[in-house]
Formats: sequence, structure tokens, C-alpha cells
Amino acid sequence: FSCYVTFVTQIIFEHEGVFIHPGSDDDGLEQDLLISGSLRIVEKVKLFSHDSSSVMEWDQCSGQKSQQLLDSQQSYETEWDMVNTVSFKKKPCINTEGSLNHGHERSRWALTFSVSELRSVTVREEGWPFLFFRLKDSSTSLPALHFHQGGSTDFLDSLRRFALLSEAPGDQTCLLVSTPSKALSQSFENLLDDNNFGLVHKFRKDPYITTLGGFSKVTNYIFDAFRGTEEQHQRPPEEMAELLGEVIPGLEINQQEEPGFEVITRIDLGARPQVMRKPPLSAGDWSKHQDLEGRMTNVPHLKEAIFKGVKEAWKFLLGYFPWDSTLEERKVLHRAKTDEYFKMKLQWKSVSEEQERRNSRLRDYRSLIEKDVNRTDRTNQFYEGIDNPGLVLLHDILMTYCMYDFDLGYVQGMSDLLSPILYVMENEVDAFWCFVSFMEQMHQNFEEQMQGMKTQLIQLSTLLRLLDLAFWNYLESQDSGYLYFCFRWLLIRFKRELSFQDVFRLWEVMWTGLPCQNFHLLVCCAILDSEKQKIMEENYGFNEILKHINELSMKLDIEEILQKAEGICLQIRSCKVLSESVIYGNFQRHLVAFICHTRAQFVEVNRETVFKSECQNLK
Amino acid sequence: TRANSGRARSITPAVTMTAKTSLLKVILLGDGGVGKSSLMNRYVTNKFDTHLFHTIGVEFLNKELEVDAHQVTLQIWDTAGQERFRSLRTPFYRGSDCCLLTFSVDDNQSFLNLGNWKKEFIYYADVKEPEKFPFVVLGNKLDVTERQVTSEEAQQWCQENGGHPYYETSAKDATNVAVAFEEAVRRVLASDERTDHLIPTDTVKLHRKPRSATTCCS
Ligand SMILES: Nc1nc2c(ncn2[C@@H]2O[C@H](COP(=O)(O)OP(=O)(O)OP(=O)(O)O)[C@@H](O)[C@H]2O)c(=O)[nH]1
Ligand SMILES: [Mg+2]
Repeated sequence: FSCYVTFVTQIIFEHEGVFIHPGSDDDGLEQDLLISGSLRIVEKVKLFSHDSSSVMEWDQCSGQKSQQLLDSQQSYETEWDMVNTVSFKKKPCINTEGSLNHGHERSRWALTFSVSELRSVTVREEGWPFLFFRLKDSSTSLPALHFHQGGSTDFLDSLRRFALLSEAPGDQTCLLVSTPSKALSQSFENLLDDNNFGLVHKFRKDPYITTLGGFSKVTNYIFDAFRGTEEQHQRPPEEMAELLGEVIPGLEINQQEEPGFEVITRIDLGARPQVMRKPPLSAGDWSKHQDLEGRMTNVPHLKEAIFKGVKEAWKFLLGYFPWDSTLEERKVLHRAKTDEYFKMKLQWKSVSEEQERRNSRLRDYRSLIEKDVNRTDRTNQFYEGIDNPGLVLLHDILMTYCMYDFDLGYVQGMSDLLSPILYVMENEVDAFWCFVSFMEQMHQNFEEQMQGMKTQLIQLSTLLRLLDLAFWNYLESQDSGYLYFCFRWLLIRFKRELSFQDVFRLWEVMWTGLPCQNFHLLVCCAILDSEKQKIMEENYGFNEILKHINELSMKLDIEEILQKAEGICLQIRSCKVLSESVIYGNFQRHLVAFICHTRAQFVEVNRETVFKSECQNLK
Repeated sequence: TRANSGRARSITPAVTMTAKTSLLKVILLGDGGVGKSSLMNRYVTNKFDTHLFHTIGVEFLNKELEVDAHQVTLQIWDTAGQERFRSLRTPFYRGSDCCLLTFSVDDNQSFLNLGNWKKEFIYYADVKEPEKFPFVVLGNKLDVTERQVTSEEAQQWCQENGGHPYYETSAKDATNVAVAFEEAVRRVLASDERTDHLIPTDTVKLHRKPRSATTCCS
């Protein structure tokens, strides 16, 4: 196929005898291990354009220099190869003499990152110079590089070709890195003419595929992966699932991830769009959306701009009332539903003590409900005090739900889902049927095997891994890759994390199905994104992460979260646009499958976006 | 190294001896509503919150204390009691130094379930010698007048099931709460001293860097 673009790879700096001491900083294993390797700065320039990027690489020594040079190139090719295997056969390898399997002994400690991702370099000396690198997007320190055989000054000088290094205030050993676009965009021609580098010049033509250009920034440092053998790649989903299963006994994971998943791990999604959210719609606007017979009109727009506090909307959003029903039809429906409700209520109300004695399941449900109603939102005016009618309603609706779905019965968490609905509906029957609709979405979470929870945790983990590999790797390294600490978030959709008003806001947004399906997973990602820095900077372990996340309760800013989550959604979606070409088809399917069902959905959303701006204009 | 270092074995460090403070992990188990969270909160914050939510997921609080001249950070783990959430709570059993089996004196069923809780704990905490593991039994809600379980019954159960110490507590009015947690600490320290003589200390390798107890917020 035809869209090859020629890149030139140039090695700007190379120095052998740069060591890492892998055991020294953490778990005390292999205390005395020194690994010798060579450090490179590689510049990659796209021909006929001014695009270039510089990458720092360190890898274990292999002995033969020529081969290393080849490998520095192979490393990129290998990466693209992985991507290509999603939908293409491997492209022909140009440098046949550089054997790929050579990589596996070299890969374990390999370390690669783009110079533009570098935040600072700290220079220390203790008999020999050694350097600490910090990246911008995370605060994780990479292993220090020890220049046992000199070369640190040369290295820093080379780095200065691409970035400004300035002393940090108050710490002269720390050099802050800034990469002004000028330095970065140093054109290919300039580099070619500049012989003053006095460094290894090595040009190789290298075919890459145009569309990959946008994704080619390798921002994550990866110890085990990149050019290694199978088991040294990032942990594949099935292995993760296995671990999960190991940690959560009884947790079975569906092993139906499609092949080719591995490739997704190094996608640069591009900048996250800033999202400005509009204020919620008013009650007046709501009624404007009804025709003479009370049919809701402009439903997509209504969903898009859905508001809080007008309880009517919830009945539609949750599917209790059909969007295209007339006012008259809704009256009829309401009458029938009222009837149905009280029939079911009568069923448990009329069970005698004797009967209940012989019905352990009903007895258990009742006892659980009684206990939990006493412990649900008791500071809320609707449920406070001892004889509050709100408590009775909460109790009765939950009992009636047991009759509606006796197999499921009552499971802890349901009272949290019902409480805000009842608060808004202020009506037993409406609250019940809205709750029933909500439970239809949440049912799997509460089932015996909690399959819904398992699926969601895995989806979330996969999503996070795609969006932020560095953070996911960190969590993994703290045995937290399966995100157990998001359990409460997911089970009751952030009910315990937010104030009532904010819960309304979030749930309404969720119920619109906009801007994408499973938006709540992006909400999780948005929150985690905000906490990531703290977690990694403080080097939180398993316990601290759990505690930190638990303690976010009531401290979250819902608007900020929604903005960020929508930003992530747009980010992913624009990624789709980029990838209309076949190459990322598969990748897309994986990523987007979480948040969007079909292409048609996009079209619909886009139409609504247009609609939204039209409405804006009308105002 | 990150892949193969016995991950699930030690989610949390067991007794981690630093120069001054030991970190002890105790876990509260028992039926929903017996007062596990209330006991934990009473002990750590000395408050009884009638508006407390039922527990979803897993939580823990830290408390510093001194027992018999030992500085101890007690890490108290609290989970949801409902059967359905078993798969969520059991992974957190590992690494516990002591288990507080809790029932409510006004709820006979919660008393009858003690044995199941003990079994579940031993199984999932992967306790090597259950006979030697320190359990403490708590009969909570001592303040309520309508008791369903008598002290004698409870004591008998403790006697027959391994001679566990038994405390009747009230999270509401603070009766015996501190005493019970301190007893738990004593039990752990005592069993530690026993095993310290048996096992050379360097065989206990934590797969993570031991943290000083104070790094956990409280
Ligand atoms: N009278 C009295 N009530 C108590 C006492 N301890 C707890 N309670 C009440 O019993 C109910 C249950 O207490 P929790 O602490 O939530 O029980 P739990 O064991 O944590 O329950 P789950 O989180 O569902 O597993 C609450 O309404 C408490 O107020 C006590 O000592 N005396
Ligand atoms: Mg609790």
C-alpha cells in the first residue's frame, strides 16, 4: 500500500558505559547489580517537512556498536510493526541484517522517552556523575543514569541542542528542561549541514506510514516493553485478568478481548480539549419542548442540555415515560403503574408474621432493608430524624422492589440509588418506577456474581491503561491495577462521593447517554487523572491509594470532573477521526467500544452538537 | 521484578518493625449492622455518629497507641458485612495480625454467624496455624435493653472455639471499646514474641518497601 513517508533517523549523541543500578532504589533485590548500557539521543526528522522529534534512549549493552545503531532504528520499526499487525501484514523489513530477536536480551531495562517530555535533570556526583530524570506528565523518577565512564557533560551539551536547561531556583543541581518549539523544530537541512556536533552521524531512510506520525510520540518510559519478547511486553489484558482473579477470589473474568490489543498501549491521544459546560436548562425551557398534546419535542437537544431539579425530566430520561407519549397517554400509563405498584406493595404488606417466619429470604431482605434505611442519607432533611416519612417511603419502595424482582431482592447499595430519586420525585409510585428503570441499568452490579462490577472494573482498567499507561503501570506496581478502590464509585455511581445536588447533576448527565455510552467510566478516569499526580508524587502504596480515594468523598468538584470527562471523550473521538484510515480501525473499536456503540451514534451526536449551536444562536 | 514478587500474598505488610513503631493490622468482621464501623469510629475518633452510612467497599483508619511500652500503629480495617460482597472484602484479609469477630447482643443471628466469619477469615487470610491466630470476640450494643444473646452463651462459644477473649462493648456509650482494641494489640504482640523466637527474622521478606507507619494518613 502506498502512503509511505520517508523519515530520517539521526543519532545526535551516543555514549557507552552509562550504567543503571536497578536494585539500589527500591526493594533491595539485586543490591549490587550494575547494568551497563549506552545512552543515545536520537532525532527523527520527517522529510520534506519541519517535523522532528528527539528521543532519549538508554539500553543495555550488546557489545557490537554497529548492531546497536541498527537496533536503535529497529526499535521504532518494531513498534510500528506491532501496530501494523492489527490490520496489516508486517511491512517488509528494510535492514535485514539487524536481527529483531536480538532485542530480547536487551530489553529488560530499556528506557525511552521524548526529550519534550522531560521536566528536569538533576546532576549529582558521588565519585562519579549521575543524572536523575523527571518527566512532565508524571512525577515518577526514572532510574538514575550513572556515568562511570564519563560523558555526562557531553550529554548535557547535546541535550542543550534541543532544550533549554536552566537551574531550578534554590537547587543548582537540578536543571529544568524547557523545549521551545524553535529548538524542536530545527529543520532537517540545518542538522544536515551542522558538522559541529562532532557526534555520530548516521542517516537511514526509514519508511513510516503517514497516519502514524500523529501517534508517534513515545511518551511513556517502559522498562520491560518496547522491543522485548512476548512476556516482556506490557501486561496483556488476560494476564491482568488472571491477577485480578488471583486477588479477588471468585472473580472470573471474561476472556474475550480481541487479539491486537497490545498495540494500543502507546497511543498519543493528543491534547485534551478544554470543555466549557453550559448551565442546566430551566423549567421554562422544559415546557417549551412539549407540543400541544404534551409530546416532548426536540428530544436530542433536550437530552443534550438536560437540567436538574425538574423531576418530570427524570421520568423520561430513565424510560418510565416514553419520549413520544402524549400527556394523555402518560396519564393513562401513570394510572396503570400506580395500580401495579400498590398490588405489589400489598403482597409483602399482607404477609403474616407466621408466613414470614417460614420465609427466610423475605425475612432477610426485610432485616437488611430496615438496617440500611436507618443508615442512608440521615443528614438529609428528607430522611433525618426518627419518624421522618421519607424513611417509611424508602423502606416501602425497597420492600416492594423485592416483590418486583424477588430473585435479586435487596442488596446493599440499592438504598443509595433510590434515595436521590425519591427525594426528587417526592412520590412513592413515580420514585418506584424510576428506580426500577435505573435498576435495569445497574442490575448486573448487584447480581450474585457481581458480573457487572467485574466487567466494569476491567473495562475501566483497560481504558485507563489506554489513556495513561504511565499511571496504570504505577498502579499495577502497587498491586492496584485492577482498581478495586473504584468499587464504591461504580456500584452506586458516585452517590457517596458527591453532595445530593451534584449527584443529580451527574446522574442526569449519565442518563442522557451523552456525550457517549459508559460516560461514568470516563468520569472515573477524569477523577483519577486529577489524583494521579498526588498518588505518584507521594509514592502511595496499596493502602494509601485506597485511603486517598476513599477520602475524596465530598471533596470532588463535579463541574470540573464533567468537563474533564467530556474532554477525554472528545480526545478519544478525535482520535477516531484521525484514524478513519484503516490502520486504527481495530484500536478504535476497542477504545470506542467502551464509550460508543456504533458509528451511527457519532453521527447522531454530531447532529446534536450542530443543533446545540443552532439553539445557542436562537437565544 | 514487579511481576513475580508474590503479589497477592502480601497485599499489606504484616507486622512491620521499625525502630520505634510497629504497624499492626486488625480487621473487623461480622454481620451487616452489628456495629463494626461504629466501633472503629468510636475507637479512632471517640465519636458515635448516628448518621453513619452502611459500609460499601473497604475502609481503614489508623490509630497510634502505646501498649505495655510498645509504640503501635493500629490499622483497623472495616468491610461490608453482606454476603454478596464477599469477593470484594476477602482479598483484604491477607496480612491481618488479628481478627475482631463482632456480633450484636441484640441480634441472635449475628451471634450464630460468628463461626462462619471465623471460617471465612481463616480461609482467605491464609492463616497457617489457625489455633495460634489471635481472634478477639466482641459482643456489641451492650447498651440496648432487649438482649438476644447472653454473656454466658457468648463466653461459652469463645471457650469452645479456641479460648478467644470476649468483650461486651458499646460503640454508643464507649463501654469497653478501647479495652477491646488494646487486648487485640496485646494478643498480637504476645504471639509475635512467641514466633520471633522460632523464626529467624530475616525469613520474613516483605515484597514492598516497608513504610514507616506515619506515612499513612489518619
Ligand atoms: N444502641 C447501639 N447502637 C449501635 C451501637 N453500635 C452501632 N449501633 C448502631 O447500629 C447500626 C449499625 O452500625 P454500623 O456501625 O453501621 O454497623 P456495621 O457492622 O458497620 O454494618 P455494615 O457496614 O453494614 O457491615 C447503626 O445504626 C448504629 O448507629 C451500639 O453500641 N449501641
Ligand atoms: Mg460498616
